Amino acid sequence: MGSAAAIRVEVETKLAQRVPAALTLKIKQAPELFSTGMADVDAMLGGGIPRNSITEVSGTASTGKSSFALSLLANVTKLGNACAWVDVNDALSPESAAAAGVELQRMLWLRMSAERKQKLSDKPWSRLEQALKATDLLLQTGGFAAIVLDMSDVLPQHTMRIPLATWYRFRLAAEHARSALVFLTQSPCASSCATLALRCDPAQTKPFSDHGETPLFAGQQYQLLRERNRNEGSPFQQRKPAGRVAWAAETQWTRCR
Amino acid sequence: MYAVLHPPNFFAQAAALENPELRKRPFAVFDGQAPREFVFAANKAARTRGVEVGMSRLQAEACDVTMLRRDVAGEDTAQGRLHEIVCRFSPRMELVADRPGTYALDICGMNTIFGDATQLAAKLRQSVMAAGFLANVAVAGNFHVAACLAWGRVGVSVVPPGCDAEAIGALPLSVLPLEPEHAETFKAWGIRTCGELAALAETDLISRLGQSGKKLHALACGTLPHLMMPLEASFESGLTEQMELDCPVDDLQRLLFVLSRMTTALLDRVRAKARAIASIQVVLLLDGGARHERLVRPALPLQDTPTLLKLMQLDLEAHPPSAAILAVELRAQSAPPYRAQHGLFLPQAPEPGQTEVLVAKLRKLLGEDRVGSPELVDDHRPNAFRMAPFMPPAPRRVEPSLLPVPVALRVNRPPQVINVQLVNERPVRVYWNSIAYTIREAAGPELLSGQWWDKAEWSRAEWDVRLMADGIERLCRIAFDPGSRCWYVQGTYD
Repeated sequence: MGSAAAIRVEVETKLAQRVPAALTLKIKQAPELFSTGMADVDAMLGGGIPRNSITEVSGTASTGKSSFALSLLANVTKLGNACAWVDVNDALSPESAAAAGVELQRMLWLRMSAERKQKLSDKPWSRLEQALKATDLLLQTGGFAAIVLDMSDVLPQHTMRIPLATWYRFRLAAEHARSALVFLTQSPCASSCATLALRCDPAQTKPFSDHGETPLFAGQQYQLLRERNRNEGSPFQQRKPAGRVAWAAETQWTRCR
Repeated sequence: MYAVLHPPNFFAQAAALENPELRKRPFAVFDGQAPREFVFAANKAARTRGVEVGMSRLQAEACDVTMLRRDVAGEDTAQGRLHEIVCRFSPRMELVADRPGTYALDICGMNTIFGDATQLAAKLRQSVMAAGFLANVAVAGNFHVAACLAWGRVGVSVVPPGCDAEAIGALPLSVLPLEPEHAETFKAWGIRTCGELAALAETDLISRLGQSGKKLHALACGTLPHLMMPLEASFESGLTEQMELDCPVDDLQRLLFVLSRMTTALLDRVRAKARAIASIQVVLLLDGGARHERLVRPALPLQDTPTLLKLMQLDLEAHPPSAAILAVELRAQSAPPYRAQHGLFLPQAPEPGQTEVLVAKLRKLLGEDRVGSPELVDDHRPNAFRMAPFMPPAPRRVEPSLLPVPVALRVNRPPQVINVQLVNERPVRVYWNSIAYTIREAAGPELLSGQWWDKAEWSRAEWDVRLMADGIERLCRIAFDPGSRCWYVQGTYD
């Protein structure tokens, strides 16, 4: 036992210049989390969306990705933080953001424009390129607690062509800038760079009209599936939460009922 | 030591400055609106013909003199010329109150440049006369003595040190700023010169005339003190840097070296007054005579050169000059610097200076109106907003609301045209991007319209529809526009 300890000390001393404390277990810090504003979802995620890392939310259209992201930003801005929304397809509705509770003054909205480069207007490359550059600038500047890169309307074959090195760079930059970087995509593209990977699915369909009333779109049920969570093995989490949760979103006009 | 320059009858001299041929003829300057025009100033020849200040225009015209309307701009020009001349003789000068065009100069220490007081006074008078003015110059140790001498004596008067009382004593009382009732009193007492006034007992004078009597006595004795308030150029107008380039420059990178030096010089001046730069105007003189002007206005006053320089660079790159640059001018406006109380436990927010540069870089990348914070506008049209500059307010904590999460709409900008099949005036199928969707459910129509009072009138019938194709469901908002008779996808609920 004593010889093992001596060998360990010797190895650590030899490697001290290159790898400090190479054989000593590092104490893992509890991840800093932002609440999503939905209790069930927070319970599944172990408290919320992790800061200093990448979270990937993927799913097809009408699966609640934007509602989820806006709910997250509402909680981030209500804590007094600044956030950014990088909008590849210029699809964000400020009315929806305000209804979700986002403090619009604290949100920097970057609208990618297809008009600036007329030749590429029908291709998503220019907009994607702009979005990646803009995200890079935001991460380098720092100060934004959450950055949402909205690629919901970009086809998976296009997002898959983004080099993996970009996501690695973003992960390191997000860690350095203490930002929660959230990707909204149709299918996962950041692979192992994402600390948390979530998949959005439609859940039980809520009919427009019940009991013969005039049809009215009142709300939608969504489902969130946790595909990966690197913080799951954290000793701070006592109990492994469920991997799938359903949540509901309502239209603004149902609040008036 | 003070030198006082007094151009007698300044307004008449200013009027004759642009028309030198008038000097040998009698003329009067009149002011006011017809029919209440009155004589404002008159030259000596006109006064000998009986023209007096204050008489009506008709009375003056009866004396057969040339009548001129008062030209305030011309008077300002004349004052500017005088100012320019006196600036050459002393950096400290003051405009004497109630005596138009009269300057008092502090000439202490100027003897090494202009010689003794007599030589300086002579040179000053010579310069003023070369510019077209007749002027008296007086030099004395006491400010008021010098002013009275310039007012009362023609030509150059120099009072040796310690002889102020004797110099002013010979002057008539009219050189003093007397109230009419005091003038009457002194006339009744038989006092005609300053020396006679100075000979009176001060206490007796105070007991009869009050504090003004004390002041007049001190004036007549040449002992009334004066606190000089020198004219100073406005700090803001001095925040200018100019540089002419040896050869035309068409590369902005090279220009940045010049801009950096000029910005640093401006900031040094601004920092000396504990202020910051609120805006900076870049004026480029271009090859061919054109001017290129850009205004860089950070959201908060800045005090560091790199940030200002980066903002100027990004602005000039976004709006480049059309030709090579021959000269550069920077004009700055100052403001109190931005101060904020930081704390260890405050929420995260970007630094104001860094945010400025970030927003400028993003504007260059995406476009002017594509970066900012959305701001809802009070408009009936759905999804109406405008882009506001990104200026996050001071961090404060707000309790999260307990309302359920709303369904977000992803807006199609611009709305996409689709084909819709109707049955009984209700949509049943949608053809969008070469895909045929079946409408499983539809809620509507919601009739919306606005601005019917002008050409921007709009109206549409909106439907919320649940589309289905190949087992994939999609919730959308579609709309029919009666104006164009087309169906559009307004957005997708997500």
